[in-house]
Amino acid sequence: MTEPIRTCTLGELMIYQIALTIEDGILAFHGFGSPQVQLALHLAKRSHAPNLVLVAGATYAVNPSPLFLTPTSNDFAMSVGAECDLDIEELFDLAASGRMGRMFLSGLQIDRWVNMNVTRLGDAGHLKLKLPGGGGGCNLSADAEHITIWTAAHRAPPDQQGRRRFRLVERCDFVTSVGHRTTDGSPRRGKGPDCIVTDLGVFDFDETGHARLQAIYPDTSAALVAENTGFDFPVADDLAITPMPEPDMIELIRRLDPMQIHRRELSHDDQTREFEL
Amino acid sequence: MFTQADKRCTLSELVAQVKDGDVLAVGGGLSWREPMAALRELIRQGRRGLTVVGSAHGIDIDLLCGAGVVAASGESYVGFEQDFGMAPNFRRACESGEVQVRDNCCYTLVQQLRAAISGLPFMPIRSVQGTSFEALHPEFKTMTCPYTGDKIVLVPPLQPDVVVLHAHFADRHGNLRIEGPPVADILFAKASRKVIVTVEEIIAHEELAEIGVTIPYFYVTAVCEVRYGAHPTSCYPNYAYDRQHTQYYYDQARQGAEVFRENYLKPFVSQCPDHQVYLEAIGGRERLHRLATWRESAEQWMSLYD
Repeated sequence: MTEPIRTCTLGELMIYQIALTIEDGILAFHGFGSPQVQLALHLAKRSHAPNLVLVAGATYAVNPSPLFLTPTSNDFAMSVGAECDLDIEELFDLAASGRMGRMFLSGLQIDRWVNMNVTRLGDAGHLKLKLPGGGGGCNLSADAEHITIWTAAHRAPPDQQGRRRFRLVERCDFVTSVGHRTTDGSPRRGKGPDCIVTDLGVFDFDETGHARLQAIYPDTSAALVAENTGFDFPVADDLAITPMPEPDMIELIRRLDPMQIHRRELSHDDQTREFEL
Repeated sequence: MFTQADKRCTLSELVAQVKDGDVLAVGGGLSWREPMAALRELIRQGRRGLTVVGSAHGIDIDLLCGAGVVAASGESYVGFEQDFGMAPNFRRACESGEVQVRDNCCYTLVQQLRAAISGLPFMPIRSVQGTSFEALHPEFKTMTCPYTGDKIVLVPPLQPDVVVLHAHFADRHGNLRIEGPPVADILFAKASRKVIVTVEEIIAHEELAEIGVTIPYFYVTAVCEVRYGAHPTSCYPNYAYDRQHTQYYYDQARQGAEVFRENYLKPFVSQCPDHQVYLEAIGGRERLHRLATWRESAEQWMSLYD
């Protein structure tokens, strides 16, 4: 007999929040380097979105049944049991022709319109930090019908001088992927991002395309979110606490990710955050 | 067209097809089927000033950067995902200015390869607008579509001088068979001036025709049989990703260029005169056997990630 599940971790709660953004019957792609998203797609497909066309990042396998989540995405363990496979050009053509319902993107810098940077810190003349790069994120940010944005590093604790290095920033040093408005203010085509899931709460967007705090977690507050965000943001009138996943969903996440790869996205302190169901 | 009847050659002859200053595309992606033995030979031959282009890569590009082979990078991603994170040698080389940053994006790359494959001066693309890639790539142009009136981006052809691939099978004529995700290998093979390939096994043409040709022979310049030629990346079903070796690589690379040279490049590249010696250096038959045990059970497979 195993103990009944009465709590969930922050990672599991974030996976559930991401899963809630996934519609049934669409094609969605999880990309690589995205364990929370990979688990969210499998959770969605096994709960409210059974007709989801789940395309695995890096292998382009369709509707696979991974034996376990691996720390690298282009691995046979991630494509086991796939119904069929796409290749790289087919996947991106599907997005460009408007047939990718949802994509998931993250950034080391995220601005108020959710332009994001995963390319470099510092300006063109002075490269301070070279980041790995965005893969296909630049293209998919414009081509996918809807985008879910996630980051497990919203919290920006002050350093010894009291400075905070924000993840949600006033300005991106480089725009790898586009949000609702480009840096010169011109609006984007298509619907774009509709949600940001972070370690502190969940944002939606107001009618101008500006990020708006829509929900918090039981251990966070709008003030805490503001303190850790590099720009001012509106707060929804009906600011709520996010819903919690069902125990069977948590069990499924634990079964899919026995090595707890998704915890690697979280800061050390956040790995111990737990919530009563 | 490459039509010679027998394209087999040694690994050093194969890699000698790459010249200093070439635009080099590398096959595979992330931790899957990267042509690592050929890249190690490229380093031993002292090649310099390469521009690397590709989609999502890891230890392959990082190793080339750590060995001082690369002058510019047009990759869309170079890293170790959530496994180890950032690529230490790549990062260091970019930040010091040794490697020029010319990052690209996956679909942009696909469209550029398609322009090369179809002999067109450009391909259109809707994305990229509003991102910093426009300033990074002044060769990308914007035009108004004569049919819809929408603004679109035009990207020029990308024709690598050489692509180096690692495949499962070839015949001596150069027909190739790849199992599992081809990543951008087929596009690269059709777009590049030269296609050089290491394979797990060279088999008779009849046998290859039976399992199916992934890339036709006339694209292929030369082939060389190099078993375990993708190590430490995976080449399923033959062998899984060698995470322990990659962990060692990463730990050395993270400690700086000097430590990496002493503790990794010397013992695993420059002091290994050939691939056989490398396979002994990484643990020989015992290590290689372990990487083939992924099929035994899910538990055994998972244990390879410890």
